[in-house]
Amino acid sequence: MQKARILLVDDEEAFANNLSKLLSRRGYAVAVVHDGQSAVRAVDEEEFDVVILDLRMPGMDGIETLKILKRRKPLVEVIILTGEGSIETGLDGMQYGAFDYTLKPIQLDELQEKIGQAHQRKLIHEAALDTGKDA
Amino acid sequence: MSELDGAGGNLHLDGQAVHRKSYSDLYVKFITLTLICSVVPILLVGYGIYRYYSEFSTARMEEYFQRKVEYNQNVIELFLKERTADLTLVALSHPLEYLKEPANLKRLFGILNHKDPYFDDLGVIGENGKHLAYHGPFDLMDKDYSETFWFKGLLAKGVYISDMFMGYRKIPHFIIAILRSEGGTKWILRATIFTESLSSLLQNVKIGRSGEVFLLNEQGIYQTSPRLSGKIMMQSPFDMKMFSGDSGVRMLEYDSEETGLPRSRQVVAYSWLKEPRWLLVVKQDQAEVLEEVSRANRAIMIFLSISIIAILIVSVITTRHMIKTIQKRDEGEERLNKQLLQASKLASIGELAAGVAHEINNPLAVILTENQLVRDVADEATSFDGEFKQQLYESMDQIDAQIHRCSRITQNLLRFSRRIKSKAEMVDINACFTEVIELIQKRAQTSGVQIVTEFEPGLPSILTDAFQLEQVLLNCVTNGIDAHDGKPFGTIRVKTRHDEKRNGIEIRISDTGSGIPPEHLDRIFDPFYTTKPVGKGTGLGLSISYSIIKSLGGEISVNSEVGKGTDFIIFLPLGSQGAGREEPAPPS
Repeated sequence: MQKARILLVDDEEAFANNLSKLLSRRGYAVAVVHDGQSAVRAVDEEEFDVVILDLRMPGMDGIETLKILKRRKPLVEVIILTGEGSIETGLDGMQYGAFDYTLKPIQLDELQEKIGQAHQRKLIHEAALDTGKDA
Repeated sequence: MSELDGAGGNLHLDGQAVHRKSYSDLYVKFITLTLICSVVPILLVGYGIYRYYSEFSTARMEEYFQRKVEYNQNVIELFLKERTADLTLVALSHPLEYLKEPANLKRLFGILNHKDPYFDDLGVIGENGKHLAYHGPFDLMDKDYSETFWFKGLLAKGVYISDMFMGYRKIPHFIIAILRSEGGTKWILRATIFTESLSSLLQNVKIGRSGEVFLLNEQGIYQTSPRLSGKIMMQSPFDMKMFSGDSGVRMLEYDSEETGLPRSRQVVAYSWLKEPRWLLVVKQDQAEVLEEVSRANRAIMIFLSISIIAILIVSVITTRHMIKTIQKRDEGEERLNKQLLQASKLASIGELAAGVAHEINNPLAVILTENQLVRDVADEATSFDGEFKQQLYESMDQIDAQIHRCSRITQNLLRFSRRIKSKAEMVDINACFTEVIELIQKRAQTSGVQIVTEFEPGLPSILTDAFQLEQVLLNCVTNGIDAHDGKPFGTIRVKTRHDEKRNGIEIRISDTGSGIPPEHLDRIFDPFYTTKPVGKGTGLGLSISYSIIKSLGGEISVNSEVGKGTDFIIFLPLGSQGAGREEPAPPS
């Protein structure tokens, strides 16, 4: 299976860049942006499988970004990765179509597992959509 | 926490003192108001009745006395008229010649007195004032009346009735004289009337105990003996100016020194006779007259007093009841306020905790990724010497471990601070707990602890938040596992039971761990309180559990014995109203 194409959205540059490096090393195609608007633009320009999204960001916040992303690309799976631990916002996120909600700091293995699952789901959805089209 | 509580306690005490004062103020105000509103009208009505009745009875009394006076006046006037008529008849029907004969006079005297012996004597007197004939018990033949007051009066008037006087015979009496002209000669028929005959007419009139009827002349001298006070011919104590007009009713103060009777107020009714000018007096003690009135007034007073006392009692009882109700409500409110205060205190602590957790989580994430990067690079590097590489890996492992520790702390902080809306649903506690225990069984086993469940079958479902309840169980069981540190094995027993008496579900989590010393026991639900070694616990688990159970409307308590183990006892009411509450109640 081809490794997922990932968009990393986090205003914490050090973290975003580090995570990007780590994931790239593990064979993922990773793009990094630091705010919501850029994320929306990136999704418009390029095809991604999984978006890793921070919630608390300057400008457009995570939930807002999530809503727009899901409207533009319904098949893209979003994993919320945040330092803010309110389960309420987490549940909010799930309600708007996020695949999972997880708290920083997260071990890389765990994150990779979640990415894998999210990617899997996207593929299943795409396949279902294709067969739907064919039929 | 305890310091805050102490301050709260003082505040509470002051508040109560203030409240107690305001309650007693309210009490006094209420009773005063009730009394004013009810007693004043009663008093007014009572006074009105009293006044009306007094006036009414005074009017009736006056009328009564007037009638008495009138009646007795008629009796006296009739008596005098009859005697005058008797004499007039004799004088007109017999010539002087006939009457001059003592035998004839005696015969006529006999006729006049044949029924009632009213007349004491009978005399015929010439123009010169000397007796022409006389019949009577006294020898008055040679008396000369020409200078007496009655003789002079008679010559002017024709008929004369005298006042009582002692006269020659020194006995009180009065006379009736008729002037007769026969041809050119004038002569007089004169009769003396027994005083007793007149006195007895009045003395026999009885009015109550103190009432009496008597006659006075214009000078205020008794013309008859009163039944009780005074004697005939004596000066009466009355001021004659008082008796103005033809008749009337007067109240007067009776002076004891003058009458020899006890000092009292008297009702005096009077009427002037036309001829002679005598005053008929009917007199009675006012106290006796007004006896009936005062009895009625006493009854009114008693009735009023009873009403007022009844109102007083009722108003005291109702007021007390009301104040108690208000007090209870106030206390409830105060309790609620205290809880709200605690809750808001806790909420702000929670917010702070969330902020801190969030701020720490981000750098932790950076550190973690940095560490991972170094690890990646190190994995690929070949030029390190063995010792360095070993040290590097050990350090990186340690960094990971510490990050993990930090993230546990922040996660607990966040859990403590989060205020998720409870999602109330029907929960089968047995099933829900089974899942949780499966999850944690592995961790328990590695610590040598066995988890035993004793679930009561057919436990009723309960309306509550399954997620939060799981959290509590997890906290308690984790706590139990940690309590076995230093023991090779142990047991955690999770028991559920339907408590029918209290209509709820009791959950009992018992461990065989080290137990909690009594001095820690009342603090274990305080946030950040922990007895675990540094790095092992955040001190939030049980505090969170406490908040959750309280917010679910239940109770959590703990029993513990050092060396034997600890029991957490959770009670959840069936049909719990607490589910859905947003604010976690504070531990107290």
